Amino acid sequence: MSETILKLDKVTKVYPNGTVANRDINMEFEKGEIHSVVGENGAGKSTLMKMIFGIEKPSSGTITYKGEETHFNSSMDAIHVGIGMVHQHFMLIPSFSIVDNIILGEEPTKGVFIDTKEAAKRCQELSDKYDFELDVTAKVSTLSVAKRQKVEILKTLYRNAELIILDEPTSVLTPQETEKLFDQLRFFKEQGHTIIFISHKLEEVKQISDKISVIRNGVSKGTYLNSELTMEQLTNLIIGRDLDNDMDEYKTHEDFHNEKALEVKGLHMERNGKPVLNNVSFAVKCGEILGVAGVEGNGQQELVKCITGLEETKYTGEIYICGKTVGDMNIRGRRDIGMAYIPEDRMVDGVAGNLPISDNLISTYYTREDINGKVFMDSKAIAKVSDNLIKTFAVKTKNADTTVNSLSGGNVQKVVVAREYNTNSKFMIAEQPTHGIDIGSAEFVHHKLIEMRNAGAGILLVSADLNEVVDLSDRIIVMFNGKIAGYFPDANNVNESDLGMYMLGAKRQSEEEIGGALND
Amino acid sequence: MTENKNKASLKSVLSISNPKVFDAVKMMISILIALAITFVVLCLVSSNPVNAMITILTGPLSKTRYIGAVIESFIPYAFAGLAAGVLFSAGAFNLGAEGIFILSGAVVTAIAITPVTTSPVLHPILCFLGAMIFGGVLMILPSFLKAKFGTNEMVVSLMLNSIYAGIAAYVVRTFLGTLKRGGNSSKDYLATAKIPYLYQPLRITACFFLLIAVTIILYLVMKKSRLGYQIRLAGSNPRFAEYSGISAFKLAISTAAIAGVLSGMGAATCLLTQTTFYTPSQSLVGIGFSGMLLSMLGRNNPIGIVIAAFMIKYLEQGTAVLYFVDTSVPSEIVAIVEGIIIMLISSQHFLRKFRERRLLKEGLEEHAE
Repeated sequence: MSETILKLDKVTKVYPNGTVANRDINMEFEKGEIHSVVGENGAGKSTLMKMIFGIEKPSSGTITYKGEETHFNSSMDAIHVGIGMVHQHFMLIPSFSIVDNIILGEEPTKGVFIDTKEAAKRCQELSDKYDFELDVTAKVSTLSVAKRQKVEILKTLYRNAELIILDEPTSVLTPQETEKLFDQLRFFKEQGHTIIFISHKLEEVKQISDKISVIRNGVSKGTYLNSELTMEQLTNLIIGRDLDNDMDEYKTHEDFHNEKALEVKGLHMERNGKPVLNNVSFAVKCGEILGVAGVEGNGQQELVKCITGLEETKYTGEIYICGKTVGDMNIRGRRDIGMAYIPEDRMVDGVAGNLPISDNLISTYYTREDINGKVFMDSKAIAKVSDNLIKTFAVKTKNADTTVNSLSGGNVQKVVVAREYNTNSKFMIAEQPTHGIDIGSAEFVHHKLIEMRNAGAGILLVSADLNEVVDLSDRIIVMFNGKIAGYFPDANNVNESDLGMYMLGAKRQSEEEIGGALND
Repeated sequence: MTENKNKASLKSVLSISNPKVFDAVKMMISILIALAITFVVLCLVSSNPVNAMITILTGPLSKTRYIGAVIESFIPYAFAGLAAGVLFSAGAFNLGAEGIFILSGAVVTAIAITPVTTSPVLHPILCFLGAMIFGGVLMILPSFLKAKFGTNEMVVSLMLNSIYAGIAAYVVRTFLGTLKRGGNSSKDYLATAKIPYLYQPLRITACFFLLIAVTIILYLVMKKSRLGYQIRLAGSNPRFAEYSGISAFKLAISTAAIAGVLSGMGAATCLLTQTTFYTPSQSLVGIGFSGMLLSMLGRNNPIGIVIAAFMIKYLEQGTAVLYFVDTSVPSEIVAIVEGIIIMLISSQHFLRKFRERRLLKEGLEEHAE
């Protein structure tokens, strides 16, 4: 016997910039099941969840929870009826203890004061009941990412959530931590909770789900029993075609005479007295992709900032781009000697959203001769360059005058990659180059990176997506705690769970082995 | 086939989902609503609201000297608007134009009362140059402090407004003043410093053409030059500008300098055409601040700003004409029009629902294709 807990009926959402995020979505969730909602990034999963959780309001259609039509004004309303959500980016206050974070907004009181004892007791009981192994008096800032996620889940349980939405919960976890999370989810299910699991990692979805709903392009492609669906069918449903995962066949192997696009020697940086980069040395050769793997927050961001010249904290060590020492050059100087950079957060650093695509396609080389006249910029040449790039990179837009804001995430990223590609640089930093974009665009970006590599550019690929690092790279370094913990000279022969051990700091190589990152 | 495509692209160009079209429609509707509300106010205060409305709208055209007054008075405001427009486009909230106007007014006065030359051409030019250089250098201060030390330029520039006004008052009283007039005013300008009318009835002077030239140059700079491109980028997303290798420091300094030069021009224009002496507490007060409103009205576009300045001064002249026949209508009524238009066009939500519905429809149609 099954009981429908949540029902979506013809739910449509249109954003003010004209994006139709969801259209006529019908979906049913039953009590006590683990129900995955999958789709490419940008397909509309997050928007749908935000509507269920009351953060966004549907433009039309109805959402029925436990037989009653919902009209949430905010997520508070959703929480009150028993819906909980664990966001991809955690909503915790680092300087508070776990207890304080959990009870925030629902504090047990004794007179006018917060009953701290009672609060701690209840939180600890809850943590023990679900086997979370947390000391609830610890400060959140001292916790690992996986533990912070547990706190987020506890937060929903404390509020008596029956329906828990997990938005890309595994994106920040190592394979080992993911396993553990799944055990917990199965336990929740036994306890009668309903789990909505959002992910674009299909292996995981197949592993954990009872049912799978697919969204493509904002439209529902149906709900299926996990047991009735093969991986191929699922992939087809999501992208409408077969996915081509093996990048090696696109790689060519020309000899670029061991020329180095980037050399980093003994990079060291401290923040608040703690080393965030600790004696980091490696090199990126022309015609190769060097992957940097690691759990987010282990020094990768700082490393990229030091190399690009955007870091404001003083660091020691030497950096050479295309053989030239960068000293205290700013980013302009570094770009001029051959650096290109795809930034991690495209909307914050990579584009000016309310300017036209054409403006965004030339920003890093706007002084170049071919797009400038004697006095003014040559608007005809700019139009030609942008039209060409839009065509080559298959950016989905009406024309080059459209503002970047009205593009989808994948197309915005294509604009960023197209611009950096067009700098013809010998050295490229690709920081999370496919983070949060659809599979089609991601594949496209990957092909372009390999194309640049084949043409002799050295690419430093920094990504939290382990599959991406393994699939694209020629060599891999793993960062842990600001140090290089492991170096893998042949990316084709690495074991992902082995990489995971290095990412978690459970293993580390000797200095000699790591030295290969610079000297190989 | 191509005809079909042309039709489709024409449709998309004229469609409300095109942000430019949407902005234009929004502006027009805002003006209409503002005028409608003005009419309601007129109904409340005037015994003959229809006539009053007609007088406000057409009054300035009834006599050449009325339209001449508009032409003369709007030019300094247009310069102030252009100055604010440059700063706002670059994302700088430097509100210092007011102080720059008042202080460079003192500079203009110092040169205009001194017989530096006997040439009636050279003398005004020297006055302009003095004001422009002074304005340019002084305007840099808040932007420099922000770029170098991270101070809040809005606070600094507002404070400097008071300081500059104080300095101007001191300088005029101590060095440039005369006992002939009550209050703190300067000596009379020398005849050589005054800018003559080229066409007396419409009060057209060389300043009119200067404004046109400056507007066109500024428009080209903003739209076509590398500097304009940098300003657009930094104004839209400063972090992106930095990422692209544009020096925030240089840009802050150069835009502030341009704004200061424009403010200096505005001050010189006002003093050398409309007055014969300088009173720091009166002559130029409020022009710099009005410039910011005009910049908002003109959407930071140089041509839009000049049109906005003309429009506001035109309406003010209209109420002045109305005042001759109907004293029940206060001239402040123009502020209502101004305020409502600015409120509506700067509102994110005004007409948004309407646009969303259209976008939804178009989005669905596109899907269907």
